[in-house]
Amino acid sequence: MDSAELVTPASAPRSVSRQLSEEPDEGTRKLRALVVEDEPADVERALRALRAAGLGAVCDVAQTAEEFTRLVRQNAYDVILADYKVPNWYGMETVEILRREGLDVPVIMVSGALGELTAVECIKQGAADYVPKHHLARLPESVRRAMREKKLRNDHRQSLKELARSNRDLEQFAYVASHDLQEPLRMVATYTQLLAERYQGKLDADADKYIHYAVDGALRMQKLVQDLLAFSRVGRQGLTLENADINVVLDRALKNLEAAIQGSGAVVDHAQLPLVIADGSLLVQVFQNLIGNALKFRGSEPPLIRVNADLKGKEWVFSVADNGIGIAAEHAESVFAIFRRLHTRAEYPGNGIGLSICKKIIEQHGGRIWVESELGHGSIFQFTLPIKPTPKQ
Amino acid sequence: MKTTPEILMVDDNPADIDLTSEVLAQSEQHFHVNAVNDGAEAISFLRHQGKYTHAPVPDLVVLDLNLPRKDGCEVLQHIKADRALAKVPVVIFTTSQASSDIARSYRLGANCYLRKPGNLPEFVAAVQSMAEFWLGYASLPQKERR
Repeated sequence: MDSAELVTPASAPRSVSRQLSEEPDEGTRKLRALVVEDEPADVERALRALRAAGLGAVCDVAQTAEEFTRLVRQNAYDVILADYKVPNWYGMETVEILRREGLDVPVIMVSGALGELTAVECIKQGAADYVPKHHLARLPESVRRAMREKKLRNDHRQSLKELARSNRDLEQFAYVASHDLQEPLRMVATYTQLLAERYQGKLDADADKYIHYAVDGALRMQKLVQDLLAFSRVGRQGLTLENADINVVLDRALKNLEAAIQGSGAVVDHAQLPLVIADGSLLVQVFQNLIGNALKFRGSEPPLIRVNADLKGKEWVFSVADNGIGIAAEHAESVFAIFRRLHTRAEYPGNGIGLSICKKIIEQHGGRIWVESELGHGSIFQFTLPIKPTPKQ
Repeated sequence: MKTTPEILMVDDNPADIDLTSEVLAQSEQHFHVNAVNDGAEAISFLRHQGKYTHAPVPDLVVLDLNLPRKDGCEVLQHIKADRALAKVPVVIFTTSQASSDIARSYRLGANCYLRKPGNLPEFVAAVQSMAEFWLGYASLPQKERR
């Protein structure tokens, strides 16, 4: 006998017991349980305890790992009631099997006295609760609580899934919108410029001013749309992981910044940098943005920029330190948000896209990025790269 | 006497045709711009079919990629597969920056790939230098007599 319907009326509809993600409506449907137990009388006693508390239950019985695995694959159960030890098997192994099968069904150990240490160990390994056989009156509440917790876990998982989906939609939207906006914007920009060129000084002073505003707005919007497109393009193709020599990566970033470095009289020095498994061309962007910022937000002294790398545990920690104007503590997080700027365009040009691209690239590598700074006392941007990257999509 | 170079511009965006014509009209050299709005029209023009019986043979084709009916690549393929037309230089003039579009265009025999710049000064510079190079400095093959 591998399956026994011990208390089910013959008419109990099977399909009803499949709606298992929610706490059963006690009036209309029975709880579906899988019992790991070799003693029919004990199964009957457990079911009676549940029934007495208004939890009518249908149950299957499993006595071996094979039976158990087959049944959980076939049926969706609300709860597993497992004896600690059946003749050829341990009830605790159900937790491991469920995990392997990717199933979230609460396991309640219903057993003779286990002793405190064993009971605690069961719960540590993932059992929802332990109810001694001589305290079966506690079983209904234990089952109810386990199911409430499961519902919470489900809701949480569902929310995370929806959040991930809405993030993906949003990125797709940003990409499509910024891509398709470029063409009409090009029309607005070039033709307002043509208007300005042809009619400058031929209308009146107001007209000249209005046209100037229109041109300026169109060009700025064009830059924003290009930046948004650049942001949403990061990682759309996934990462191309390779053995990236960060010395080479940094050299390429510095080469791209050559004019700005010479213009500001900056000194950039770096320690011997490691080889990491990463997308090298994306990391060039990261270093270029960070060092570019250090050059842009310089203090009164010529910029001094130092790039470093430290191995800490399972990750590399890179740092780009400067002697620039620094960032007030309350902005330390928000500087990484897209289009976030702390200064007017007249003070410092730019759209506030660079750090958000850095953050996206680093997070795609499974790393973190942050800044330590004090207003007027330079900044240290730091980011981590795991030694063994598990890229996020 | 030097004849006025004939340009065939294939573009579905009238604003780009106007702007390009404007820029060319400002230059010292004279050009004649013939404009059609889709790929099928372009092929009729090149083959002197229908209303294009008396159309001139172009010295230069300026071709957008994203076109209704027959897209730019199809037109390009058609031109380069036709013995008489194949020697007419084709400049791809488009907003696409996709490396796949660039590679495909050259593979199909495009003579030059030029991106439409997003602002007026650059647009003017691009069109002027294109005309100057292809219809000024470059030596072009003798046109077939019709």
